[in-house]
Amino acid sequence: MALLELQEITKTFQKGEREVHALRGIDLLVDKGEFLAIVGPSGSGKTTLLNIVGCLDTPSGGNIVYNGGDLGAMNERELSGYRKKNIAFIFQSYNLIPVLTVQENVELPLVIEKTQSKNEMTRRSLEIIDTVGLKGMADRLPRELSGGQEQRVAIARALVKNPLVVLADEPTANLDSHTAEDIMSVMEKMNRDLNTTFIFSTHDKMVQEHAKRVIMLHDGQVSSDERKQT
Amino acid sequence: MNMIARIAFRNIMRHKRRTITSAITIAVGIWFYTFMDSVMAGLDRGGIDNMIELTTSAVKVHTSAYQEDKEAFPLDHGIRNMRKLRKLLSGNPRIAGIAPRTRFIGQLSNYTEEIPVIGTVIDPDLDSSVFSLVSYLEGDYFSAGSSREIILGKDLAEEMGVDIGGYITLYALTRYESRNADEFKVAGVLKTTDPELNRSSVMISYAAANEFLDLEGLVTEANVGLMRRVNLKDMKNDARKVKERIETTFPGLEPSTFMELAAGFLELAKSKRAFGVVFLLILLVIAAVGIFNSVLMSVYERIREVGVLRAHGMKSGEVSAMFVLEGFMTGVLGSIFGLVLGIATNLVLVTYGYPIDKIAGDVVVDGFPVWGTIYGEWNSATMVFLFFFGIAVATVAGIIPARKAGKMEVTHALRFV
Repeated sequence: MALLELQEITKTFQKGEREVHALRGIDLLVDKGEFLAIVGPSGSGKTTLLNIVGCLDTPSGGNIVYNGGDLGAMNERELSGYRKKNIAFIFQSYNLIPVLTVQENVELPLVIEKTQSKNEMTRRSLEIIDTVGLKGMADRLPRELSGGQEQRVAIARALVKNPLVVLADEPTANLDSHTAEDIMSVMEKMNRDLNTTFIFSTHDKMVQEHAKRVIMLHDGQVSSDERKQT
Repeated sequence: MNMIARIAFRNIMRHKRRTITSAITIAVGIWFYTFMDSVMAGLDRGGIDNMIELTTSAVKVHTSAYQEDKEAFPLDHGIRNMRKLRKLLSGNPRIAGIAPRTRFIGQLSNYTEEIPVIGTVIDPDLDSSVFSLVSYLEGDYFSAGSSREIILGKDLAEEMGVDIGGYITLYALTRYESRNADEFKVAGVLKTTDPELNRSSVMISYAAANEFLDLEGLVTEANVGLMRRVNLKDMKNDARKVKERIETTFPGLEPSTFMELAAGFLELAKSKRAFGVVFLLILLVIAAVGIFNSVLMSVYERIREVGVLRAHGMKSGEVSAMFVLEGFMTGVLGSIFGLVLGIATNLVLVTYGYPIDKIAGDVVVDGFPVWGTIYGEWNSATMVFLFFFGIAVATVAGIIPARKAGKMEVTHALRFV
C-alpha cells in the first residue's frame, strides 16, 4: 500500500473575476521512504501541490489518501490534528522562531503535540540535533548560526517527531552551492537511516540530481514522472 | 515555562524599545492618577484638618437639650458631667485632648459702632490640646491671671478700629439673662485664611466669662481632639468609635463627628473623585491604543512565524493567546512601573508634603480654605485597582490583533514577505 495517494487532485483559485486552475487533475502514488523532487517552472503548481499534500490547504476536487485513510472527509480542525502528528515542513527561509534556541526550535513540534514528557522531549531533540551535525549548538539562537546551520535546525525540527512525510519547499534556494550540497546530504542520510519520506519542490538542478524520483509539473499537470536507478 | 509564554516573554524582551514605550504609556497613566489622587486627597485632607483644628474638632459634644435650641446659643443646657466624660476618654491613646467651650451671643462696641457677634468662651490651657488657634495668632494668647482679655478675628478688629493692646467693649446677656457690659483688652488677633474666623472670632477665657456671664463653669460644648492619622479613613474610624462610646455611656449627650459637621465638604470631595476616574479612563484609552498598535505591529512582523507555528499544528487559539500574553505582560510591566513610581512619589508627598500656599497662594477647596503644608494620602484600594486595571486594559487591547493572528490562513502566512 502506498504511503500517499493523490487521486484527480484539482485546485482552483479565484483571482478577481478570473479563475486560476493551479492544479488540473494530479494523480500520484508515493511510497514510504521515497526521496522525491517536484520540479517545474514558476506557476506550475509545485507549492500548491505541496500545501495540499501537507494538509495546509484543501483541494477543490479529488482525494488524498494517507496510509489508506481518506483525508477528504476531514474538516480543518481534523486536518490540523493530522498534520501535527504526521507531517513536517522545511521552508526555503528556514523560518526558525528567532527568540527560541536551537533546542527549543527543534522541540517545538513535540511541545505542540503534547504527547511526550519534558525529559523525553529534551533527549529526543538533543539526539536529532547531534544527528544533523549541530552538536554543542543546542543553546544558540538562530541569529548566531549560518544559513546552512539554520537549515539543519529546520531539518532537525522536521524530523524530531518521526513524521510520515517531510515536505520541503525549495530547501536549498537560500544557500550557496556548497552548503546546499551539504544540506542535501544530511536529508539523504536521514532518508536512508530513518526511512523517512521526503518530498521537495525545487528549481535546483543539484537537488534533482540527489532525488530518487523527479516529478515534473507543467500548468498544474504531471508532465513526467522519472524514477532513478539506485 | 510554557512554550507560548516563553515565546511571548522573549518577544517583548526582544523588542525592548517598543515594549518600554507601551509600558511607559500605561505607567504614566497609573502614576499620574496615583499622584493626582494623592494630591486631591491631600487637598481635601488639608481642608478637613484645618476645619478640625480650627472649628469642628474631631467630635463635638452638646447636650440633647442644647441641640434642640442650638441656634439661640443658650446658656442653660450645660454639660454637667464633663469630669466623667474626660475620665471616660482618658484611657484612649488616640485622644489628643478635650477642650470645653461655651458659645454666647453678644455685641462688640467701640462707642461709635456696634456689631452683633457670637462669642466663644475657651479654656486657654485645654483649648490648645484640640485647636491650633495659637499658630495663627498675632499678639499674645490669654495671659495667666488676667481676666479681661479678648482675642478677635483680624478683620473684625480692623472693622472695629482696634489694635493689639487696645480696648473694646463687649455686651452680652448673662446666664441669668441680665445684660452685662465690660471693657476688654485685645490680647491678640487671629489671622487665618478662613475668612469666617477672621471676620467673626470673639474669644474670652473662662476666667473672664465666669464673672462676666455668670457662667459658674458652665460648659455647653466639649470638643474632642484626636491624634492625626496618616489616612483619613482611620481618623474617621477613631471619631466614630469615640462618638459611639459617648453615646452609650451618656444618653443625655449628643456627639457629632467631623464627618457629620463637614458632610457637605466630604460629599463634594467624593464627587470630585468620580471626575478623576473619567480622567483616568481617558488616559488609559490612550495607553490602550498604544498597546493595540504595538501588538498589531508585532503580529505583522511575525506573520511567517505564525504560519510556521500553525503549520506545526499549533491551534489558532494558542497563537492568539501568545499575542494576548504579550499585551498582558506589557500591561504587567507598565502597571508595576507605574505603581512603583506612584508609590515613590506618594511617599515623598506623604512624608514631606508640599507647601500649598507657597506654590498656589490661598487655595479654597469647595468653600473651605486650605493652607500650610499639605500631605499626600495613601489610597491602597485605588493603587490595587489601578494595577489590575492597567493590566486589563493592556490585555484587552491585545485581543483584537491577537485574534487576527490566530485566524490567519496558514498558506497565506507562510507566503507573507
